[in-house]
Amino acid sequence: MSATPRNLLPLLVLPAVAVNLFTFLWPMLNLAGLSFREGLPGGGIGAAFSLATWGDLLADEFYLEILLRSVGMALGITGLALLASYPIAFFVHRADARWRNLLVVACISPLLISAVVRTYGWLVILGDAGFLPVILRGLGFAPPRLVFNMTGVVIGLVEILMPYMILSLLAGFGRLNQTLEEAAASLGAPPLVVFWRIVLPLTLPGILLGCLLVFVLTVSSFITPKLLGGGRVLLLATEIYDQAIVTLNWPLAAALSLIALGVFGAALLVYGRISRAAERSIA
Amino acid sequence: MDLTRRHLGRVAVGGLLAAPFIRPASAQERSITLAAYSGIFQDNYHAAVVEPFMKAHPGIKVSYYAMPNSAQTLGTLRAQKAAPQIDVAIFDVTIGKAASDEGLLDPLTKEEFPVLAELAPAAFAPGVHAVGVTFDSLSLLYSPEVVKPAPTSWKVLWEKPYQGKIAITGAPDIVGIGLTLVINRLNGGTDYRQFDAGIKALSDLSPGVLSWEPKPDAYTFITNGTAALGVGWNARGQLYARQSGGKLAAALPEEGSLFQINTIGLVKGAPQSEAAKAYIRYALSAEAQKAFSERMFYAPVNTRADVSAEALAATAASPERMAKMLQVDWLEVAKIRDRMNDQWRRRILSRG
Repeated sequence: MSATPRNLLPLLVLPAVAVNLFTFLWPMLNLAGLSFREGLPGGGIGAAFSLATWGDLLADEFYLEILLRSVGMALGITGLALLASYPIAFFVHRADARWRNLLVVACISPLLISAVVRTYGWLVILGDAGFLPVILRGLGFAPPRLVFNMTGVVIGLVEILMPYMILSLLAGFGRLNQTLEEAAASLGAPPLVVFWRIVLPLTLPGILLGCLLVFVLTVSSFITPKLLGGGRVLLLATEIYDQAIVTLNWPLAAALSLIALGVFGAALLVYGRISRAAERSIA
Repeated sequence: MDLTRRHLGRVAVGGLLAAPFIRPASAQERSITLAAYSGIFQDNYHAAVVEPFMKAHPGIKVSYYAMPNSAQTLGTLRAQKAAPQIDVAIFDVTIGKAASDEGLLDPLTKEEFPVLAELAPAAFAPGVHAVGVTFDSLSLLYSPEVVKPAPTSWKVLWEKPYQGKIAITGAPDIVGIGLTLVINRLNGGTDYRQFDAGIKALSDLSPGVLSWEPKPDAYTFITNGTAALGVGWNARGQLYARQSGGKLAAALPEEGSLFQINTIGLVKGAPQSEAAKAYIRYALSAEAQKAFSERMFYAPVNTRADVSAEALAATAASPERMAKMLQVDWLEVAKIRDRMNDQWRRRILSRG
C-alpha cells in the first residue's frame, strides 16, 4: 500500500466533502424541492409539484420591495459599520504592543454578550423614557422616535456587528507599514493623500472582508430587526421567519430562503471581483 | 489494575443476567409525551392537570414537552411522522386542522371517549381530529395607573392620550388576525370574511401604535411601563393582572370579542397510545377543566365543569358575554388569512 501524496489528496478531502454534502447540500436540495410545492391554508403543504409558490412570489411586488429594502439596508449598515470601525481598528493596530491585546479584547468583548441582550439594551437606551431621548429633551430638542422603526434597527445592527468589522479590519491590516507612509510624507504628500494613496489601498483586503461579513450578517439577521423594528421593518429574514414559524407557509419560506442564498452568492461574487481587482492594482 | 478489570467484568455479567428482569419492571411505568405551550401555560397546566393526572394514574408518567407556539408543534410532528415521539399535542384549532389534513392525528371517537358527549359544541370542528380543550378570548390590556377610568370599549385604542403607547402583536400573529375581525364588526362589518372596515380602522391606528411586534409580549410592555394599552389573550391577561400588583389589567370590552380554541389531539402512531387516550379523557373531564379554568382563567370546554363564579367572571363564558362574542369559524379564517396578511403589510404595518 504505497500512496503518493498526489493521489492521497482526494482521499483526505473526502470526509470533508461528505460532511458538506450531508449537512449543507442535502438540506439545500430539500429546501429547493420544498419551494416547488404549494402552501395550503392553515399550514399544510401540497403533495404535488407546483410552480404556484414561485409564481405568486415573483408576481408580487411586495417581495421585490422587501428584497430591495433588505439589500439597501444591509449596504447602509455595512457602510456605517465601516465608518465607525475603521478609526478604532486603525488605532488598535497602531497602539503600543503592550496595550494592543487588551484593546482587541475590549473591541470584541461585546460578542461575549448575546445579541438579544444587547438589543434589549438598545430598547432601554433609545426608548421613549430611555436616556438618549431624555438627554435630548433636556437640551430642548424634540427627539424623533429612535426605536420601533428603521432608525432603531440601523443603530442596533451597526453596534452589534462592529466587532466583526473591527476583527476583519485588523486581520487585513498586516501589510500596513509605517515606513511607506513616512516615505510618502517625506516626498511631500499631505496626510489626506497619504491616507488615500497608501493606507487605504493597503488596508483594502481587510475592508472588503469586513464588508462582506457585515453585509451577509445583516441580510440574515432577524432578531434585532424584529425587536427594534416594531414590526414595521419588513425584511427578507423577518419574512422567512414569519412564513416558517407563524403562518407556516414552508414552501414560501423555502423560496425566500433560496432568494436570500442568491443574495449571498451575489455578494461573494462581487467580493471576489473587487478583491482581485484590488490585488492587481496594488501589485 | 487487574482487580478493577475483574470487577468491571462482574458488573457487566451481572447486568446482562439482570436485564430480562429490569425490562418488564420499567415497562410497567408507561411514559407519554405531551407537547404543549411553554412558559406560563406550562407552569399552570402542569400543576392543574398533569400532576393530578399522574397522581390518579400512578402507572403513567407524563413528560411535558414545551413548545413556544402551535406552529412548532406541527413542525415537530411533521418531522417525526415516520417515528413519532409525541403522544398527545395541544395546539390551536387551525393547526389541528393542518395536522389532521396531513394525517398526523388519529380521530377521537365517542365510543372510546365518552367524555366527548359532555363538551360544548364549539369544541368540535369538521375535519379536525383534535377536539377543543380550552376556550380563550381576546381582551383589552391596560395599565390601571395610566388609563383612567378603566376602559370598557375597544374604542379607547383610538383615544388621543394613548397614541404612541399601544403594544399589539400584529398579523400574521393570530392576535392581529383576531383583532381585525373584532374591529371590523365594530366598524360596521357584518360578515367577517369581508374585513376591509377592520383593516381601515387599524390602518388609522397604526401611527399611534408603539410596536406591532412587542417582544417578549404585550403583557410585558404594559407591566414594565413601555406601553399603556394593548391587546392580548384573556387567560394570560387575567393571570398576569393578578400577579403584576396593579401594573396590568385585562378588560373584556362591552362590544364583545372572539374565541380562540386550543385543541388536544392524539398523535397517529403514538408510542403509548392507550396511556395517551387515558390522558386525553382526563384532560377533557369536568374535574381537569374546572381545575385549569380556576387556575388560569381559560373558559372550560366541558359543560359539566363546575367552575367557581369568581373564575368564571374573569372569562368570556358568562351567558351575557357569550351572546356578544363574534361567531367565527377559524377554519374559514385560515382561508382568508393570507389575504388579510397582505392587507396588513400594505396598509397597516407600512404606516407610521
